[in-house]
Amino acid sequence: MSASEAGGGVVVSRTSKPTREKASTAAASSIPSEDAVKKISDGGAAVQTKPTKRKMTAKMGFITLFPILILTLAWIAGFCSRLFAVVRFEAIIHEFDPWFNYRATHYMVKNGFYNFLNWFDERAWFPLGRIVGGTVYPGLMVTSGAIHYFLSLLNIPVHIRDVCVFLAPIFSGLTAIATFLLTKELWSTGAGLFAACFIAIVPGYISRSVAGSYDNEGIAIFALIFVYYLWVKSVNTGSVYWGALTALAYFYMVSAWGGYVFIINLIPLHVFALILMGRFSSRIYVAYSTFYILGTLLSMQIPFVGFQPIRTSEHMAAAGVFALLNALAFLKYLQRFKKQINLWLLAGGAAAAVFAAVVGLTVTGHIAPWSGRFYSLWDTGYAKIHIPIIASVSEHQPTTWTSYFFDLHILVCLFPVGAYYCVKKINDVRVFIVLYAATASYFSGVMIRLMLTLTPVVCILAGIALSELMETYLTGLDGSTLHKKEEKSSEEVVVKKTKESKDKNKPMFDEAVSPGAKKPSGAAAQLEDLDPTGIGISIRNIVVGVACILLVLFAVHCTWVTSNAYSSPSIVLATYGHDGSRNILDDFREAYYWLWQNTDEKATVMSWWDYGYQIAGMGNRTTIVDNNTWNNSHIALVGKAMSSNESAAIKIMRDLDVDYVLVIFGGIIGYSGDDINKFLWMVRIAEGEHPKDIREADYFSPDGHFRVDSGGSKVLMNCLMYKLSYYRFGEIQLGNRQPFGYDRARGVEIGFKDIKLEHMEEAFTSEHWLVRIYKVKKPKNHAKVTKKQSKIKRVISQKTSRKQEGVLRKPVQI
Amino acid sequence: MLDFVYNQTIFGVLQPPNIKLKRPTWIRQPAPMTVFAGILLSYFLVTGGVIYDVIVEPPSIGSTTDENGHSRPVAFMPWRVNGQYIMEGLAASFLFTLGSLGFIIFDQTNNPLMPKLNRSIWVGVGFVCILVSFGMCWVFMRMKLPGYLQN
Repeated sequence: MSASEAGGGVVVSRTSKPTREKASTAAASSIPSEDAVKKISDGGAAVQTKPTKRKMTAKMGFITLFPILILTLAWIAGFCSRLFAVVRFEAIIHEFDPWFNYRATHYMVKNGFYNFLNWFDERAWFPLGRIVGGTVYPGLMVTSGAIHYFLSLLNIPVHIRDVCVFLAPIFSGLTAIATFLLTKELWSTGAGLFAACFIAIVPGYISRSVAGSYDNEGIAIFALIFVYYLWVKSVNTGSVYWGALTALAYFYMVSAWGGYVFIINLIPLHVFALILMGRFSSRIYVAYSTFYILGTLLSMQIPFVGFQPIRTSEHMAAAGVFALLNALAFLKYLQRFKKQINLWLLAGGAAAAVFAAVVGLTVTGHIAPWSGRFYSLWDTGYAKIHIPIIASVSEHQPTTWTSYFFDLHILVCLFPVGAYYCVKKINDVRVFIVLYAATASYFSGVMIRLMLTLTPVVCILAGIALSELMETYLTGLDGSTLHKKEEKSSEEVVVKKTKESKDKNKPMFDEAVSPGAKKPSGAAAQLEDLDPTGIGISIRNIVVGVACILLVLFAVHCTWVTSNAYSSPSIVLATYGHDGSRNILDDFREAYYWLWQNTDEKATVMSWWDYGYQIAGMGNRTTIVDNNTWNNSHIALVGKAMSSNESAAIKIMRDLDVDYVLVIFGGIIGYSGDDINKFLWMVRIAEGEHPKDIREADYFSPDGHFRVDSGGSKVLMNCLMYKLSYYRFGEIQLGNRQPFGYDRARGVEIGFKDIKLEHMEEAFTSEHWLVRIYKVKKPKNHAKVTKKQSKIKRVISQKTSRKQEGVLRKPVQI
Repeated sequence: MLDFVYNQTIFGVLQPPNIKLKRPTWIRQPAPMTVFAGILLSYFLVTGGVIYDVIVEPPSIGSTTDENGHSRPVAFMPWRVNGQYIMEGLAASFLFTLGSLGFIIFDQTNNPLMPKLNRSIWVGVGFVCILVSFGMCWVFMRMKLPGYLQN
């Protein structure tokens, strides 16, 4: 790391010489202290610094060693705390989407990359099929495929599944390093180390990166932070080199996650804000032009993205800012020759022209308007009304205060403090982090899932806040005061270590920085000699002590949340008895295994879309709809089949050539995420496409509640989902005191017990009734035609059988 | 050199009009602390789940019926991480903001010109803010998830 840092320093001094003189006004005052040291030593400009350099070598060793040590520990701690699921259960792929990613990765490893890109999956979205290569972000598969390839080159035989399971925890360490680099670029090494330690264990990020959660976000957050680091670096240096690297990292991000749209809007926003603030400089021009041109070209190489970067509204902000930046640069250039050019007027005119052009092209249809998914971020009520399929996903729900505290704990308080410091000591790149903070916090409020993009910036700003606090309150303290409170559990040690290192680093930094850079001026300087901040030692001890306690509590909270909330594979459930014994409910895999072993290889399974990927991944059977949700009407058709009565449903199922129907039923073990609880969404989605046949109001009881007991509506009792879920459920009694057919998930006795199925038969029910599979009866060969019905009249021929045979004169040529 | 070329070619033909148009004086760059206040306010609203309140439209305070059939108000929607009442969200985000103000006060006390008594008072206020905020959040969490930080 230190080598690359030094390399960066050299590049700085080499490439950006011409721009530096002009640009230094803004940046010079706030260059992080250690960078200042390095730049002085690397540049070799000042003779006086030479002796200091020699004196510092031993201390410099510490300064570089400690970050490496702390980052390594953060990596290990982050990796370990993501292993709860593996330790408790096994190395298994979690949830829903990861199963598709795993299946695709497996296909790619087996058949090669180009076959993967051309893969037409006829087993999904039957009978439509899915062009997987063109509808997937391949970065995840390529990453784990590459790791697998290198390991096999080294003759380390690892199954691709294990690579997939452990990919996200490994990348969390890389994320920590990227966060460190970004924060270091923004503020200081100390802040960077705090931020890295935070992001290593913060639950908001762990929720998407536990072992087995093999999803795009796992690697995309690393890519996101790394792009931002490189962007900040290129704004700081104004070099084409860093700009091009930003574009490359952006390419990786585009290949990994649809969230790249956040980058391609945030960076232009940053540039635009800088222009508005009058901070336009050639560094920004170089950085943005390089990034935009290369980044756009590179992002268009991903088949799924294609021509979107020049055709859709989501990308138009970037293009508009690019045009505006060039117009401004041109005007500035002309202004050199003619002073009286009115820059403000012309630049304003250029901005208006760019805006008008974008709007005009959108109106004429050359640019696609905002797609529903992104539009719903602005108009928060939009998805609820128009796109039930987006609103139905639990991770697309708006966020409550609990999620913030749950996912961020004390960082939620420290976040505005970091923003406060950044606003107070603003410079070009801190504008960026403030914008990132403001936008991400808004988006996180709209969708719980976007908490993930907020988490890194919270860690960065909290790191800055805490490091400033420590810097203030630790300056006079000896390193010895904190050393006693060491040695706790592993994560605490990591957090503590940061502090310990600060203890050691801080005084050195203060010596290293040239005097006058930081110290308050005038009369204060004298006060400082006695007591650097004028605050008593005891108060400082208390403040530092309280901060430490908060950090320890943070680590405890993180571990608790990770262990209790985010480490469930959700395809293997566990229940705990009163004595602490554990029951594993492995019904899902049992059922999928049954499908795999006992049904025809070409059999088609209909289920609600949540389970499509799992059926394909574990059961290896054809599905009607899955979690890709690209075709709303197809899903609505399945929803309609589930929510209409059996005779109407059988028509749809015959049309779709369904062989089996799979439903999830939690009534026996009290599993609340089952199909009955999701049922209203099926009705809503079906209603969206077939408003004549399905009406949501029909499924409510007269007093407007969704009830499955005897007070529920008749339409509900007769729909296919109800029948399949509760078929033969009325025959069993779960406890002595409970009536027959008592549904534990909803806590009621079901209203309709004597369920008969006409066109279907029960094929399989798992041990705890969690998964129930029904076979659709084939239509009888042909219906018997009675004599009266038949319209064909048989005429008995008078000819003999020999005469009936015709003879062709000529051979017919076909 | 270039100066000469441009003056002879482009600006030889085109004469830029000397417009005496200035930026209107009321457009000024906002003060840093104004910006920060805006961010803090929006953060207060977002962490309070105002967007959730707008979309889902929960009641401001919930109510339950106890065993005697009386209706009692309930401030917190228990056991639901993804649900809240309006007031509990605002109370919680007020505490978050209070905590951050405590940290900012710590920074303000760092000003060396501040009298000693003032400084002690401010440090005390900061402490109270942070501890109250943190403690109350913890209590709220226990009300929300009764098993919080146990087992």
